[in-house]
Amino acid sequence: MNATHDVAYVLVAIAGLTIVTIVTRSSFFMLPARINLPERVERALRYAPACALTAIVVPKIFVPNGEPFFSVQNNQMWAVLAAAVVFAKTRNMMVMMAVGMAVFTVLRLYA
Amino acid sequence: MTKLRETLVPPLDPAGWREGLRSMVTPGIAIAAWGVVTGVAMVKVGMSVPLALLMTIVVFAGSAQLAVLPLLVSGAPLPIVWVTALLVNVRFVIFAAAMRSYFSQLTWKQRLFAGYINGDVGFALFLMRFGGAPERGTTFQWGYFFGNATVNWASWQVASIVGILLGGLAPTEWGLELAAVLALVAVVVPMLNRVPVLAGVVVTAVLSVATIHIPLKLGLVISVLAGVIAAVVVAPAHVSKSAHAKRAA
Repeated sequence: MNATHDVAYVLVAIAGLTIVTIVTRSSFFMLPARINLPERVERALRYAPACALTAIVVPKIFVPNGEPFFSVQNNQMWAVLAAAVVFAKTRNMMVMMAVGMAVFTVLRLYA
Repeated sequence: MTKLRETLVPPLDPAGWREGLRSMVTPGIAIAAWGVVTGVAMVKVGMSVPLALLMTIVVFAGSAQLAVLPLLVSGAPLPIVWVTALLVNVRFVIFAAAMRSYFSQLTWKQRLFAGYINGDVGFALFLMRFGGAPERGTTFQWGYFFGNATVNWASWQVASIVGILLGGLAPTEWGLELAAVLALVAVVVPMLNRVPVLAGVVVTAVLSVATIHIPLKLGLVISVLAGVIAAVVVAPAHVSKSAHAKRAA
């Protein structure tokens, strides 16, 4: 049984998911300009973006298949590590992505 | 068409627009890789091509789409599907709060549209470029934002459609999704220049893996909240006070 074959179910799901995208992405944009956020919230907001992106990225590296995978055999970890070092030195995103993918591919094929 | 454009898009400075386009070219490659992965994943679980196309075109949120796929396959109750997507997307609420002062001059339709097309990388690039700008809400900034968002949108849509049409043909072992991870790492690394941010990121990183089995992707929200709290606690009071005084002046 695969519920994605139920067209009505998936259509309603998609409609709701679209609303979720709009509601979350536009959320604070819709707040009238005269309303100011409390100072404490404004301060916390300076740290939130880095944390939010970290929460997306780190599980993608260390939880590749649903289970945490801390091991020297975690190829993604080495690729990201190498790429991050390169990026910190060069600030060149193209070079860093190339290095990361190259390290990953070499490890995948030969390690 | 012109009418619709004016309704949804504010006046854009051409130089800002061009800079926005340019700055998104390299991240666009990563977004495209991510789009292919998402497209392939949708058809691989058995979703029909028309439904997969509709989903990627209108939902336009890769992480949320991937998170709900297994739920859709198992026929999970719709509220669970939606809440899961909502929690994966909570970061966008944070992004919107951080960016809002640059868009408050727009009409509500323009703000709604700008929010809808705002992605992870575009958000980070925008705040890195204009975080210290003395004036917020200029046509240059809007131009940059929409230039950015246009490349992001186009590379995502084209790539995910390609992924859907390729279906099972695209090899998953190439690690295409790693390109997207790398792009986001490139976005986070320059943010790590202050101790409080570093503290917050470390706490978030540890908790985001430790909470991975909590249902509904709640761990995502918990780890971000804990990270932000850690950053605020670590931040010495005088730093934030002087920053506040500077802003008020």
